[in-house]
Amino acid sequence: MKKKALSYLVLLTLVIGLALSGCSSSDKSASEGKSGDGKIHLKFMHDWPKGSSTAYYSLVDEIIKDYEAKNPNVVIDVEVLNPDQYRDKLKVLAASNELPDVGLTWSNGFAEPYATGGQFAPLDDIIEKEFKDQFVPGTVESYSFNGKSYALPMEMNITYIFYNKEIFKKYNLEVPKTFEDLKKIGKTLIKNGVIPATVGSKDGWPASMWFMYLADRIGGPTILTDVIKGKVKMSDPAIVKAAKEIQNLVDMGFFVKGNTAFSNDDAKGYFLNEKAAMFLTATWELPNFTTSPDVPQEFKEKVGYFKFPIYEGGKGTDINSYVGGPGLGAFVAENSKHKEQAKDFAAYLVKEWGKRSVEEAGILPATKVNTEGLNVPKMYLDVLNDINNATNITTWFDTQASPNVSELHHDLITALFGKQITPEEFAKQHDEALAEEAKKNKQP
Amino acid sequence: MKNVMSNKIVIALYVLPALFLVLFLIYIPIVLTGYYGLMDWDGVGQMKFIGLENYKKLIHDKLFWKSTWHSVLLALFSVLSLVGYLIVSLVLASKIKGANIFRKIYIIPMLMSSVAIAQLWVKIFDPMNGLINSVLTMLGMKNTPLWLADPNMALYAIFVPIVWQYAGFYIIIIYAALINVPQELIEAARIDGANAFQIAYKIKVPLISGVLKVLIILAVVGSLKYFDLIYVMTGGGPGDATEVIASYMYKEAFGKFNFGYGSAIGFGLLIISMGTTWIIQKLLNTNK
Amino acid sequence: MKGQIRSTSDHRSPLRRIGMGILYFILVIVALVQLYPLVWLFQLSLKTNQEVFGMSPFALPKSPRWENYINAWFDGGINHYFFNSVWYTVVAVLLTLILASFVTFALTRMEWKLKGIVLALFMVAYMIPVHSTLIPLFNIYNKINLINNPISIILSYTTFNLPITIMILLGFYQSLPREIEEAAIMDGCSIHRIFFQITLPMTAPVLSTTAIINMIYNWNEFVFVNTFISSEKWKTITVGVNNFIGQYLTDWGAIGATLVISVLPILIVYLFLSDRIIEGLVAGSVKG
Repeated sequence: MKKKALSYLVLLTLVIGLALSGCSSSDKSASEGKSGDGKIHLKFMHDWPKGSSTAYYSLVDEIIKDYEAKNPNVVIDVEVLNPDQYRDKLKVLAASNELPDVGLTWSNGFAEPYATGGQFAPLDDIIEKEFKDQFVPGTVESYSFNGKSYALPMEMNITYIFYNKEIFKKYNLEVPKTFEDLKKIGKTLIKNGVIPATVGSKDGWPASMWFMYLADRIGGPTILTDVIKGKVKMSDPAIVKAAKEIQNLVDMGFFVKGNTAFSNDDAKGYFLNEKAAMFLTATWELPNFTTSPDVPQEFKEKVGYFKFPIYEGGKGTDINSYVGGPGLGAFVAENSKHKEQAKDFAAYLVKEWGKRSVEEAGILPATKVNTEGLNVPKMYLDVLNDINNATNITTWFDTQASPNVSELHHDLITALFGKQITPEEFAKQHDEALAEEAKKNKQP
Repeated sequence: MKNVMSNKIVIALYVLPALFLVLFLIYIPIVLTGYYGLMDWDGVGQMKFIGLENYKKLIHDKLFWKSTWHSVLLALFSVLSLVGYLIVSLVLASKIKGANIFRKIYIIPMLMSSVAIAQLWVKIFDPMNGLINSVLTMLGMKNTPLWLADPNMALYAIFVPIVWQYAGFYIIIIYAALINVPQELIEAARIDGANAFQIAYKIKVPLISGVLKVLIILAVVGSLKYFDLIYVMTGGGPGDATEVIASYMYKEAFGKFNFGYGSAIGFGLLIISMGTTWIIQKLLNTNK
Repeated sequence: MKGQIRSTSDHRSPLRRIGMGILYFILVIVALVQLYPLVWLFQLSLKTNQEVFGMSPFALPKSPRWENYINAWFDGGINHYFFNSVWYTVVAVLLTLILASFVTFALTRMEWKLKGIVLALFMVAYMIPVHSTLIPLFNIYNKINLINNPISIILSYTTFNLPITIMILLGFYQSLPREIEEAAIMDGCSIHRIFFQITLPMTAPVLSTTAIINMIYNWNEFVFVNTFISSEKWKTITVGVNNFIGQYLTDWGAIGATLVISVLPILIVYLFLSDRIIEGLVAGSVKG
């Protein structure tokens, strides 16, 4: 037994010793190697992991390789995290002034602290030089604060109600023109045991799209933006009415049962499996409804979309007003050691992205797309056309709001769908948070 | 004999490495957390010293106290479930046939990452297709519960997977303690005519009371700072129905960019844990 | 052996037999409940996303998708991360166990003044929530140039598991008979010999228990890895799982496959550890 214990100990010390010495020597190649090969190393972080966002990942990977081929003195060190972890890590890095040279940021409320906190570099010079009139109007503004622009927009999405054409046909339903039509469709479907619409209100943001469209249709296209700007209150009768209409839909059983416990993915399953007839979501789902090999062809052929219907007597009378917005944009870190090179790479990335993303990956970029001769499914051409003819695209309320209000909004939306709060209470809590935010912004 | 056992060099040699690590990598963060709590800081831009503002806000923050209450409930649940684990472990350690296999199987949920556990339980609770509601519907129930989607039920529903996941953790520890109980004592009691229950209650449990005390503290503190499954399964919702201290802290610090306030919550959690542990220790020692 | 002979003779009474029957029935039911997640996970790993959502989660996949495993292995990069997971886990577990044993030995067997404070320091260290340490820890590692270096991961794993390991060990050391150690002191043994040759082997059952617990924690950990490591070269298997989680799409089949691959080694090691080490060393220490 003594021998056993002794050999155990010897083994232990050996392993520890080996491991520690082993990694301290190999470590040097990892951290100091950056300048060792005489090349410029740019750190680039994105949140499109190979496993879940294959198309995005491959396209970025391709563009990086092309860039490295064209700039043999530059090496791009890529780090990929999933969106949740990406968000957290970006925060930790910023707190230590260690942001990557180039990275991705969401627009508006998410980007604001980084931009105004001096972490992101202003990019107006390259936008002026390399991207004149190339971005979809309104996208660059989503990353602009105090008159400077801090990111190159890469995504542009708008939201539609996607629906199952076959279910609609089966019950003789037509695409609704008005909100009343939509409710009638809901009633018919419920009578026949079909879930009218699926929504993942646990996550807040998917459910909020219903609210945002109703607010747009009832209170007019600018009303939610005005709330952010402090011109209108959330307790405006039009907005409260929108919240009430949500609860009316909940009461009639319009949404899948138990949706306050569903994530967007959970909810999407009901649409993909044809248990729910409608799914309000954004155009990032287009590959799933057109090209994705993981979704059966029969189903993809059944999917159609329509614009959110008009609300009778509402101020938003234009069906071509959308809820949507830019998703991610590329930023350059203010204290990057190779800022000019980083800007150059970011510009190249976004430019190539704009050229290739629709055809190669089925992603709608924030740069203008020339639809002529584009080899894509018809749904893409329709959507691109819609974007060109849009009279207004209201950026998602939760994106426009500060992180503070945005988080609260998500919780309140879940509560609204779960009927834990009244529409009035829903409005009041928003107003309180917005007021507090406004007070805080005045102080410094 | 005392001389050998109070050799200062040896004590230093044994204690300092671990202590140094803990001081350096846990206490510096603790102190910094308390310090960030004095700041108005979004974690990105400039810090601004605001004194005790965050802590004052914390005391009046209804949501903080609500989350605290939820965490305390979870702690109570975890401690109660210890009784069950103790019974299972007593049975397993009483040398019944197959004890070893059972013990091994019981810990399996713990081996799995929370990502998988969360996904499994979301499916079990799913109001439409879930396991529970499928069974209830089969039994003829019409208005099946919404479980995680029902704000009045969600908190208790989510306790189940948490308590279940940790079953193996407690069982293997209690089991290890029980097989350490000297066999002679048990034999002696048996010869005196004690039955299995008496042996368990009068001999085994008192002998492992040190371990049980530690487990109570671990269960309580572990519950107070619990985060994983709640964050993945409900994100604290619906509304704030399942918000616990750690999820609230995470939301403030990482979701809302209120790093200063988030740190204050983290520090508050630390104080609550310390207070609770102190009370538990007092209670356990007077019982003795 | 003795116990078994005794218990078979007990079985003669019919009442006892029924009792044992019920007992086994319960044990088996619980075992099935604990075993089910593994079965479910395996099913999940063979499904398409469409089958995962909307359909009954407990239905068998229509046509098993073994591709999920190929995806997991290559797209998830498990082939790449696997080795890192293994050696981080092994080194951190060994370090934690030896350091924690040192401390616990000093706390329970040796005589010194600051015991109470040191113990309290370790206990309080257990109470801090991970998320409030991230930013300070990143800063510390950044200053000492350990970012993107596996040492930061091993140090974090070791340090953050020290408090819980010490607390578990403490309960055991307190209930352990001291006679053998005292006799050894009388014989003039050095402290190191007592520690390594008497105490450590005597605590083998609990050491293997804490080893398993530590191993599970380290194996499934991802917050530290994601925060302190940036190059693919040093990431661990949990990163593979997270590779399949996307903003608009999460590939659950591949996650299932990744989790199956990642749970297998720990399952095997667990079976091996509990068999060989517990029985071997317990026998060794009892005879010793």
